[in-house]
Amino acid sequence: MADPDLPPAKDAPAPATEPAPTDTGAAVPVVAERGATPPPTGVLGILVRHQAIVVPILAVVLAFAIGAILIRAQGFNPTYAYEVLFTHSFATESGLLATMQKTTPLILVGLAVAIPLKVGLFNIGGQGQLMAGGIGAAWASYALRDLPAALIVVVAVVVAVLLGAMWASIAALLKTTRGVHEVISTIMLNSIAVGLIDWLVNGGPLSDKGQPFPTSHAVPEGARLLPFLKLIPWGLPVALLLSVVVAWMLKRTTLGFELQTVGRNKFAAGYAGIGTTKATLVAMALSGGLAGLAGAFELLQIEPYRYQNGIAGSLGFDGITIALLARGNPLGTIPAAVLVGAMRAGAPTLQFQLGIRPEVVDVLLAITLLMVSLPVIAKLIFRRHATKQTQLAGSWGA
Amino acid sequence: MQWVQHNKIWAGAAALILIGAYAFYFVNSNIAVSMFSYAWFLAVPLVLGAMVGVMGERSGVVNIGIEGQMLVGAFAGFFAAAATQSVVIGVIAGALSGIAMGAFLAFSTVVGQLDQIIAGVVINIVATGITSFYFESGKTIPRGLPNFDVPLLSDIPLIGPVFFSDGPIALFALIIAFTLHFMLFKTRWGLRTRAVGEYPSAADTAGINVVALRLFNVTVAGTLAGLAGTYLSMEATSTFERNMSSGRGFLALAILIFGAWRPLRALAAALFFGFMQSLASQLQASDVVNIPQQFINLLPYVLTLVVLAAAAGRVRAPGAVGQPFVKGD
Amino acid sequence: MKAKPFLVAVPAALALALAGCGGSTGNNTDTGSGTNASSAPKDCSSEDVFCIGLVTDTGSVDDKSFNQAAWEGVKAMEGDGIQTKYIETKDAKDYASNLKQFTDQKYDAIVTVGFLMTEATRTAAAANTTTKFIGVDQFQESDVANVTGLVFPEANAGYAAGYLAGLLTKTNKIGVVLGQEIPPTQNYAKGYEQGSKAANPKISVAKVYHPAGDNAFSDSPWGAGEAKKMLAQGADIIFGAGGGTGNGALGEVAKSKGAGESLYCIGVDLDQWDTVPEAHPCLVTSAEKKLTDGTTTLLKQAKDGSIKGGNFNGKTGLAAYHDFDSKIPAEVKTKVADVVKGIEDGSVKVA
Repeated sequence: MADPDLPPAKDAPAPATEPAPTDTGAAVPVVAERGATPPPTGVLGILVRHQAIVVPILAVVLAFAIGAILIRAQGFNPTYAYEVLFTHSFATESGLLATMQKTTPLILVGLAVAIPLKVGLFNIGGQGQLMAGGIGAAWASYALRDLPAALIVVVAVVVAVLLGAMWASIAALLKTTRGVHEVISTIMLNSIAVGLIDWLVNGGPLSDKGQPFPTSHAVPEGARLLPFLKLIPWGLPVALLLSVVVAWMLKRTTLGFELQTVGRNKFAAGYAGIGTTKATLVAMALSGGLAGLAGAFELLQIEPYRYQNGIAGSLGFDGITIALLARGNPLGTIPAAVLVGAMRAGAPTLQFQLGIRPEVVDVLLAITLLMVSLPVIAKLIFRRHATKQTQLAGSWGA
Repeated sequence: MQWVQHNKIWAGAAALILIGAYAFYFVNSNIAVSMFSYAWFLAVPLVLGAMVGVMGERSGVVNIGIEGQMLVGAFAGFFAAAATQSVVIGVIAGALSGIAMGAFLAFSTVVGQLDQIIAGVVINIVATGITSFYFESGKTIPRGLPNFDVPLLSDIPLIGPVFFSDGPIALFALIIAFTLHFMLFKTRWGLRTRAVGEYPSAADTAGINVVALRLFNVTVAGTLAGLAGTYLSMEATSTFERNMSSGRGFLALAILIFGAWRPLRALAAALFFGFMQSLASQLQASDVVNIPQQFINLLPYVLTLVVLAAAAGRVRAPGAVGQPFVKGD
Repeated sequence: MKAKPFLVAVPAALALALAGCGGSTGNNTDTGSGTNASSAPKDCSSEDVFCIGLVTDTGSVDDKSFNQAAWEGVKAMEGDGIQTKYIETKDAKDYASNLKQFTDQKYDAIVTVGFLMTEATRTAAAANTTTKFIGVDQFQESDVANVTGLVFPEANAGYAAGYLAGLLTKTNKIGVVLGQEIPPTQNYAKGYEQGSKAANPKISVAKVYHPAGDNAFSDSPWGAGEAKKMLAQGADIIFGAGGGTGNGALGEVAKSKGAGESLYCIGVDLDQWDTVPEAHPCLVTSAEKKLTDGTTTLLKQAKDGSIKGGNFNGKTGLAAYHDFDSKIPAEVKTKVADVVKGIEDGSVKVA
């Protein structure tokens, strides 16, 4: 903090919720721009230095204020609605469990979108990768049903991660060997996963013929991951840990450096001897593995412990939302996932107690995403001291 | 003819497909016409959606909100028509809602510097949210947009009944694909658009108003997305269902890339995809092959990947796509 | 670069526009969701109040299909000392927690809609033995005292519809457009094929399932396109069996030249004359599961305590012919009536 000439983005430590651009590439021009005006001191100074946290919080508050207008217009009391929503999500035992159960896969699929973004890849295939992982866990846990429970869980998780990684690697290989754009291949692979898995559980080899409806076999009872201490789903600490690991990997390891370099400038990376091919394959495999892991937890830690229709929900696409809310920052996926998880967990109560249709949560979410992302908000508050945001869409043209 | 010389593979493929289609037509005209008609029926929203993408991305703005724009178009068109009992007003409302969504994307990204992907995702989420939220069951519209025969053209064997005996929006989609192709590659607007999409700073230096052109293109493209939605709720059907766009906006995005950001190639790609779906449906309905329908229905997706992999050759997105333009940056 | 404060106005204006929208169309108090809000909460643990809850599968109570039918069955119970409420499930993993909302409030009877909730319902029932559960479309492999599966032999309804189609067709080609391939749609299709062949051995049936995915029951454009292709290939009767997807098929037939003269369509689940008005030009009847009646019957039993665990066979059949009553030849009507009777008494075998 000694050097007043350093831009705020570099000055700020990386606290857990910081969705700040870690890309120095984006920050460099800021230095030149700001050289003349030293950052303010005092309270404003603290706010400016921590604007990566301050801005999203203000944005969320603003978004909920706009949401309040909407709820009011529907003839409901917004304060009461928010109270009901968040009381349920955080202050009731079952609600809190639901929030954490929903947060788990959201963090993982958020990471699954965030990592490829660093390399300049846009993974729309989280859905298919998650489904591949889920069906893999269903298959492994049933096939190994006679083994000790702990072993079943471990193998099921490993299989899920591998299948997810494999599904994503198809897109990566098509890209590196044949130049097929990942957006198109992941969209196609999503549909292929839907069809294949529908067949597998609907009369195919993985279907439980003893049930009167299409479903996979149930995870053996011992291998079901019941909440730890009856409160914390097992997947949550794993997801939290992984987001920290991913953040560390991107920031502190050679591999992370290579991935980020490729993402920033392919040609420069090439001159530096860093292969785009390797970066693409690694990033997509990691991403698919994380999505596959999300699928495994969806199967192992949530009723009905079977793979059946609708289990995957729209998680793959939620991953995009989470990654964007987090502005591509791995640690940022945590608060983003908690917010979205809590809103989703509370939506049914909102309908139960007030009669507001659950889609209101989607609208709230969209406004939040908009507010968090609009650069104008930061500029309004901090004027010329606002940090520049990284452009995620820049990764599109490749 | 110059085109043929420059695009030997494409010309060859087109000729082969045309010959194949007519051979099929002479073997069984009824089945051929119905299958190609269905292919075009499915392709129309994809073509319109892909054109939305072309206009945006060619000028440097990614639009992944096509899905949401379509859904809102379908919603606005249907409920406006239901409220006024006028299909014309419905179509206008659908187009206007598209303009509104396009304008949101344009102004928030080009002027407001909002990340383009985020803007698109916001559109998608808002669209599913509000169209479900405000959906009202039991509304009807007088009658969907009628089909009509285009004089002379509709008498051409095969092509006539497939492309020239449909509703107005389907015909519009066909016309717009050709028009846009011509405009993009033969007019001053097209040259400027492409310049802005590739090298905005160079274009700026050359005196092109980058911001204005992007705003214009993205906003106008919204109309097409709105019409694609209106096609779903008022021409293909006469009803609105929650989520009735069913991922067609994302498919359109895939078609856009499949078509290498060129309107006519995107049209061809959409027709290919539509025909594969039509073929899958025909195989399923006629019970000629005895394999689970889930496999038959994978056909379009798997073949698209196969074709793309076989065609190889990196197609390149417009250079500046996704990048905000800041004067003097 | 200058800050552009006016841009905050864009989202704000968007919000206001939405809010304005809400003002005009927000009067959905009469379409269902309002009944949730308007009812002052009563104490469900009290003896005087009979509380009925309903959890939809991932559809809504105005889906013109089975969620709506079940909810109408609940609403038919409304009156003094009865409280009704529903939750529309958005995420298939929420079934258990949505059920818990009702059991926590000590609801007396809970209706769960759709086979996907079979297990969640049975689990909740085991934990709340005094609550009566009614599972629509949920076949019970083994009996649980407080769970009643309201099941329908869809194949019977399909058979009757197919039989009628077999008698009405002039081209000997008919079609069926289905949602996702799941037991109810499979049964409808099976019955439809069998019934049509029984009436007309020369008939050929084109059958398509939607290629899975979350949108399998809401993809009306797809349904319309399939119907269009079938009509073009000579089919003259289309059975639309798959929620919104099937409704798309009905609408397409209704729009086609000759609708109601030479082309007909058949609806599904409910009497779709009431729910899909755009199909009136061609809708001869609907292959109906009497879901509303079945739900109400079971709820009445739950209220007076006579309800039994296990499976309860709901009624199926053909809905009224409505405007087509005069257009369908009397002999066809008699034959179909005989077959419907035959299915009921078992003399007509439906596989």
